[in-house]
Amino acid sequence: MSLPPVIVSGAALTPYGRRKDGSGFRDWAAEAFEAALAMSDLECGDIDMLFVATESDFFSMQLNPGSILASDLGLVGVAATRCEGGGASGQVAVHAAVNAVASGSAKHAAVIGVDPSASSLSGDAIRTLYGFSFDAWTDGMTGVTPTALYGLSYQAFAAEFGTTNDDLAAVTQQNRENACYNPGAHLGRRDSAEEIAESPMIASPYRRLHCSPLSDGAAALIVSQGSALPRSRAGAPQVAGIGAATDHMHLGARSSPGHFTAKTRAIKIACQQAGIVPDQIGLAEIYDAYAGAQLQALLALGLSDQPAQDLRNGRFAPDGRCPVNLSGGLMGQGAPVGATGVGQTATCALLLEGRYHSDLQPKAVPQYALADTHGGICTVAATTLLRQAVAA
Amino acid sequence: MINHRLTLDYVLAPGFFAPFIDGLLTATAWARRCAACQNVSYPPLRTCTCGEAAGEWQKLKGQADIVWRTEGVDGAFALVKFDGADTQSVVRLQGIEAHDTRGCLYRPDGDAPQMVLGPISQDMQT
Ligand SMILES: [Zn+2]
Repeated sequence: MSLPPVIVSGAALTPYGRRKDGSGFRDWAAEAFEAALAMSDLECGDIDMLFVATESDFFSMQLNPGSILASDLGLVGVAATRCEGGGASGQVAVHAAVNAVASGSAKHAAVIGVDPSASSLSGDAIRTLYGFSFDAWTDGMTGVTPTALYGLSYQAFAAEFGTTNDDLAAVTQQNRENACYNPGAHLGRRDSAEEIAESPMIASPYRRLHCSPLSDGAAALIVSQGSALPRSRAGAPQVAGIGAATDHMHLGARSSPGHFTAKTRAIKIACQQAGIVPDQIGLAEIYDAYAGAQLQALLALGLSDQPAQDLRNGRFAPDGRCPVNLSGGLMGQGAPVGATGVGQTATCALLLEGRYHSDLQPKAVPQYALADTHGGICTVAATTLLRQAVAA
Repeated sequence: MINHRLTLDYVLAPGFFAPFIDGLLTATAWARRCAACQNVSYPPLRTCTCGEAAGEWQKLKGQADIVWRTEGVDGAFALVKFDGADTQSVVRLQGIEAHDTRGCLYRPDGDAPQMVLGPISQDMQT
């Protein structure tokens, strides 16, 4: 079933990183919202609904972020909903907003993702809490960390596809190299393969430099009915398809623990809505929580049947056939968790409009872009396909 | 800066999962056998991978093969397959050597119901 026209009329991200300037998550949410609203050429009074993504009340010490942000942003009176999907929370919120607009419930919906993931709690506290983002009564009680679970899943994948630590280094280097050209990135850096291989072991085979950082930051989108779009926004990209799916919560209940099956289900739904096949996707922001997770994602999304080889042959490079994580991805740009999915979709929208950071903006803009987000160990997957405006 | 310290002591009733949770505290592996496909899940699935919710509790021997293992700053963990189970389990490894390929469920340190796999002693193997 294809979607009625839903347009990304506004998109913005704050810088991601560890903020030390005294600003707080409510400031970042306001900053992102104001920038997205300005891009949309709409006013606060035009917004009918607000969808907010923050991963956990533990990070923000705030149980009702939807209504808090509605008050802060001058949106009192609108319907405000908080969306949760672990690491996919932001993309889940994007989907809720797209569905609200597509159904006619809202003409214009705002989506805000925000988290103070880097600065509000100690590293130890964050690590403890993250164990509970899987099944808290089984995996969580063991004290297992996300890195360990991803390490187990990746080993199953590597055994099947023959990927090596050199492939993990290649993903790490490409994403962080891209981040060097993104002024809003948390971790643009150029590490040699040796430096990556010598960084501390977090949970084998993952070393510190194979992991994405937790960041502070926010991102915002305004999605609008095509018929309600200001004339000035005729070049804004359209939501071509959305797809979300789940997998078994327990890694061990999956028939193939190395495969991100929820992503395969999600992209199939999104592609069916868009009327395309994955091969037509011309750029992608992929959920690279860990270097190996990017390879697992590329396979699951149908972007490659030999992801490590295609990475090496340049298919996913900035000048390749399908640039991946031009932003730097989670590994390079960073991950303020609730903001991540919103920021990935915002990045795709800005790239399709030709408004992205000049050093990363492809000269030839593709027709379709994919934002791919997941939560847990790909327990919940949410994908969004954007299409360049017909008039653009 | 807004500084605030929270100390939280949770008490959650396990409900349906009580046999599994209580079993961990005595190093007994209570799994769930599906009434439809007979698959045995451990940790127990309330609804089997085949979609059936009906089933019964089944005690496993508590010994498992290590399928994948990971080690790092937070300890060692593994995806293991318990004898008699059709699904795999994530466990914390305790006292398991790098060359060990099997282990058995251990009583956790403290009150928390943890899935801990330790070495199989000689008398356990018989
Ligand atoms: Zn069954």
